[in-house]
Amino acid sequence: MGVPAFFRWLSRKYPSIIVHCVEEKGKECNGVRIPVDTTKPNPNEVEFDNLYLDMNGIIHPCTHPEDKPAPKNEDEMMVAIFEYIDRLFNIVRPRRVLYMAIDGVAPRAKMNQQRSRRFRASKEGVELVDEKQRMREEIIQRGGYLPPEEIKERFDSNCITPGTEFMDNLAHCLRYYVAERLSNDPGWKNVVVFLSDASVPGEGEHKIMDFIRRQRAQPNHDPNTHHCLCGADADLIMLGLATHEPNFTIIREEFKPNKPRPCSLCGQTGHEMKDCQGVAREKQGQHDEFADTMPVSEQEFIFIRLCVLREYLERELTMASLPFPFDFERSVDDWVFMCFFVGNDFLPHLPSLEIREGAIDRLVNIYKDVVHKTGGYLTQNGYVNLERVEMIMQAVGVAEDNIFKKRKEDEENFRRRNKEKRKRMKVEQQGPAYLTTGQFAPQALGRRDVPEPIQNARHQAYDMRMNPREQNNKNAAQSLKAMLRNEGSSSSGANESQDRRAPKRKAEDSDSDPEPEDNVRLWEDGWKQRYYKNKFDVDVTDSDFRKKVVQSYVEGLCWVLRYYYQGCASWKWYFPFHYAPFASDFKDIKEMFTEFEKDTMPFKPLEQLMSVFPAASGNFLPPTWRNLMVSPESSIIDFYPDDFAIDLNGKKYAWQGVALLPFVDERRLRAALAEVYPDLTPEEARRNSLGSDVLFVGKSHPLYDFIHELYRDECNKGTVVPPELCFGIQGLLNLDNNPVLPDKPVKSPIPTLRDISQSTAVSVKFKDPEFAVGYVFKAVLLPGAKIPTKVLKPGDWERGNRGPWRPQLGFNPNRQQAHLDQSGFRALGHSLNRNQQGGGQYSNTPPPGTYHQGSYRPQHAGGHRGFQHSRPNPQLGASQPYQQPQFSRHQQQPPQYSGGGHGWNRVVQSQPSAYQQNANRDRGGPRHAGYQQPHDHWQDRQDDRRGNRGQPQQGYGSSRSYPPPPPSRRWN
Amino acid sequence: MAAQRGGDDPVSEYLQQNPHLAGWVDSLRGFCETSKQWSARREFILRNMEGQGVPAAQPGAHSPSLDSLLSLSMVWANHVFLGCSYPPSVMDKIKEMGEGIAVQDAPTHKTTKAKGKRSAGTEGESDSYVKRNKGGTNDLEARSSGRTAVRPSSQKSAPPPQAPAEHQPFFNRLYKAVAWKLVSAGGFGPNLDHFEVLRSCVESCKQTLTCVFVPLKDITGLPAVRAQKEGHVCELRCLTVYMGTGYGRDESAARAMASKEALKVFQGRKVTVKICRRRFRGRDVDDLMLLDEQPRSQGFPPALSYPFQEEQLEGGSPQRSTV
Repeated sequence: MGVPAFFRWLSRKYPSIIVHCVEEKGKECNGVRIPVDTTKPNPNEVEFDNLYLDMNGIIHPCTHPEDKPAPKNEDEMMVAIFEYIDRLFNIVRPRRVLYMAIDGVAPRAKMNQQRSRRFRASKEGVELVDEKQRMREEIIQRGGYLPPEEIKERFDSNCITPGTEFMDNLAHCLRYYVAERLSNDPGWKNVVVFLSDASVPGEGEHKIMDFIRRQRAQPNHDPNTHHCLCGADADLIMLGLATHEPNFTIIREEFKPNKPRPCSLCGQTGHEMKDCQGVAREKQGQHDEFADTMPVSEQEFIFIRLCVLREYLERELTMASLPFPFDFERSVDDWVFMCFFVGNDFLPHLPSLEIREGAIDRLVNIYKDVVHKTGGYLTQNGYVNLERVEMIMQAVGVAEDNIFKKRKEDEENFRRRNKEKRKRMKVEQQGPAYLTTGQFAPQALGRRDVPEPIQNARHQAYDMRMNPREQNNKNAAQSLKAMLRNEGSSSSGANESQDRRAPKRKAEDSDSDPEPEDNVRLWEDGWKQRYYKNKFDVDVTDSDFRKKVVQSYVEGLCWVLRYYYQGCASWKWYFPFHYAPFASDFKDIKEMFTEFEKDTMPFKPLEQLMSVFPAASGNFLPPTWRNLMVSPESSIIDFYPDDFAIDLNGKKYAWQGVALLPFVDERRLRAALAEVYPDLTPEEARRNSLGSDVLFVGKSHPLYDFIHELYRDECNKGTVVPPELCFGIQGLLNLDNNPVLPDKPVKSPIPTLRDISQSTAVSVKFKDPEFAVGYVFKAVLLPGAKIPTKVLKPGDWERGNRGPWRPQLGFNPNRQQAHLDQSGFRALGHSLNRNQQGGGQYSNTPPPGTYHQGSYRPQHAGGHRGFQHSRPNPQLGASQPYQQPQFSRHQQQPPQYSGGGHGWNRVVQSQPSAYQQNANRDRGGPRHAGYQQPHDHWQDRQDDRRGNRGQPQQGYGSSRSYPPPPPSRRWN
Repeated sequence: MAAQRGGDDPVSEYLQQNPHLAGWVDSLRGFCETSKQWSARREFILRNMEGQGVPAAQPGAHSPSLDSLLSLSMVWANHVFLGCSYPPSVMDKIKEMGEGIAVQDAPTHKTTKAKGKRSAGTEGESDSYVKRNKGGTNDLEARSSGRTAVRPSSQKSAPPPQAPAEHQPFFNRLYKAVAWKLVSAGGFGPNLDHFEVLRSCVESCKQTLTCVFVPLKDITGLPAVRAQKEGHVCELRCLTVYMGTGYGRDESAARAMASKEALKVFQGRKVTVKICRRRFRGRDVDDLMLLDEQPRSQGFPPALSYPFQEEQLEGGSPQRSTV
């Protein structure tokens, strides 16, 4: 979904949905890599049945990564993709199905977004190159140093679009990859692999949904299948909820904000291109030994447990005293529907609903009201009740005025706060103007060297006064003098002296960020009129036009919901405007939508390329087709502007704005293409045709012999999969023209990888089960589905007198807690005591109350209550008595000892081991109010470890009893 | 729909006389087109039908020549209403075809060079000189962009004699603004972003700066030594008053140089707006110039644009960088 904020909002509001992945890494022994045995139980203590990969979320980071050097050629990209899939496979370890779906031709509704992205990518690419060139010249003129420009073809990410040669190659490579793994990797041997490449129409995630939906609707489906879907898009969460499968988990890369990116000019991190100075690279490590190591850690993965989200939603949506029994499943569907209002890939979001401003909470409140009033839900099985939607919209419409005013207010507050913060930071960075030096120099608490007693204090003080080397102090004194002088002169009025201080300060005040001009000014009266005038170029009185916009939007809402619950209702429909109407414009919408056009067909791959590519990407198309994009005689030249306006629409960055691109006229496109169709080579015609999903199985799979038999019989009819052979999965099998066959070699399409001399896999075309034309897929829990055990703390837990609540941190509610037994403690104590001669002068004293922002409260009575960085958590102290020699690795914060056992902490701190990662990872549990927090801690540890690399014996916590200082102090 | 606006509009009048055309042409209207856009595009289609050899046919019948006309009409409309631009050959064509169609206050869109992601800092750079319809630059813009917007009718081939006096107060204010800005930036020097300084000052005085770019190779009559092939020349004006000219390898370098030249004028004790004679396209013309007090050793560089000109005098007008 085009709402980057959605996931952040969700994970903050419902923190327990996130579980950090435990990943077993491959080991290396004498230079030989030992792969992980994925037949072993999943270290996440859960077994998944099906793993679905939305491949575009994998292809993009693998082909043009943002945090590491880009692969040099296509082969390296493919290998990167394979490795990425391997990694996911190792984490998830599916036992039944691996489904790989690459985006195929998308519905028209989506194509407009794709078009806008590709046109922008192309425009940005050109501008980046220009900008780079300009900066380069400037820096070199100033005498800066820049590494020579690499002569490298820029990877045009636009080629990740169905129909290009790249996508064709990718499909080819993935076939090889699957055959290779099925033949050689024991973890894959019982897995059925589906590959839906770019030649199969539909967006990747929706092809996956279609698969799940159709499997659910057939009688052999196992209602307790555990699905795991990989992808970062927020709409996967919606899609997962829309399936109504009780066990549905999403895996995605952990979102890390503000990761450092190397400057694209000099390749160093720490600044952006526009600030590049062209200074020589700093040595990494003493002898530049870390030159090629990226300072960023490898991306971690997280699970998003939709069953936990369902628990949260149940709490939030349940309505008491309804005139009819409350149906949670229906209300989930309504919730999903309301999330579309704040943004989706197919419609621009309503101006008044902004996810950051709590739009969804607002909608939920209104929704409950509406359900009470009308006695029914908004949607059923993906069909919308427009009358009830209108009530919701009207309720939002009433508040619209205030929302806009409040938005402006918040924005101004935010800007003011930011400015103040900047000011504060500046003062902090400057540090004190005067510092005592020598013996009197301030010393950090808890450092190893014990301060000496002061000797000859008078002499030292004299030194400090007189020593000319203390430049800082001298400056401080001078500026003080200057200030005094200035005061004197300003009174006399003639401030002719070129004192730079005063005007400079003034300039800083005035140069607040240039704000983009906003003509609409939604916060002022007359906003509606201005909005329609500015955005649509019509008068507010033109109600026909307004109605048209609203009608299209209503159609859009119906289309999107249907798309999520029933599949693509119309390949043709799209929202033909660049902006959304206001909520208050939704009047009399009940009659606005009846049905979509039936039997629409998706575009062919090359047709889609013609409608989403700018002329600059024309090289992916045959010459005569390309010519239609540039020639003044072309009858579709209007689709291909070489530059276009971007309306920031109140946003700050160009990429958030609206690209004002013309829409494609399908009729004219087809007419123009009809003339160049004969120019396609057979190869291009093949790429332009629609393909089919392919199913692969390995030798030991029960379906293997069945398929093998089909090939021997050369059975040309479609054959139904016998469900008992394949975990109840159904579908139609057709012989593949170019199959992977048992005991036949498979040639490697990548020079660096070996051919498979004897493949033991077999592939066959697969088609999802078909249903009758008017069939409606039911959005309900299936009979026999078992709801997983609850994770959230029941609201009445305290009353139940059941002892302290133990939050569940992973998948397994009865997780074995790790602990050290007595011998372990003996060993620790033994090795630690030896190194602890000094013991740290403060180790037996509690830190002063001001340390750590005062969140530490000395608890002498118990003596063993841990304190935390973030916030007091009374439960922790109560439920985890630390006297016990039992240490859970689930504890949020390593316990702090004020007594004898302070060694434990130290070991954790200084051990760069997997153990530590686990300890960290497990902390993302329900106790965390915010999802961000684990990052900070994690980062914290990362830094520690880096610091420890050189001198492993001096961990931060080695001789102290409180945690390391926040990393910012040390590393900035 | 525009057809109902009454008979004073020649297009509606024409359609009333040719009712068979009216039905046909209305079948070409796009679903999301506003009345205003449609009536303009309809005029474009009707005017160019014959030139493109399009027979008026039954609604729904399409021929390649019609499609090509439709496409050009969309190019024109996208350019006027959405702010899209197309390759030069296409633009030239639609400029010609759209000649004479009047569009009342067309929306203004900026093709602000969308700076690469997350570099908001540079955003402000280019939007100042694409703001339209401000100051006296209307006609110049309209011409160069192929827009056929309404033009001020009172055009003379020389600036009005009272113009210097009219503009002088503004430049006095600008002089102060520049002086303060330079003080706060640490004085006039080579490391300033001269354009940025000038732009922000002009904007703080509520005016806009106009840049005109001409590729060096398009300038005739240069001494042979200077006749390099590459590079651009930029001329800056504000309120039609000439401020400076600069040359650079690309447009932004030229602009920076022109701004530097303009700022040099502000280094004197005051600035004055005067009417001076200078060359423009091989002729001597009177132009409004911003001058300091120093006696000039050389003459002025030839003008690249001339905002006080009769219409028929111009041939190709200089290309503005961003439209």
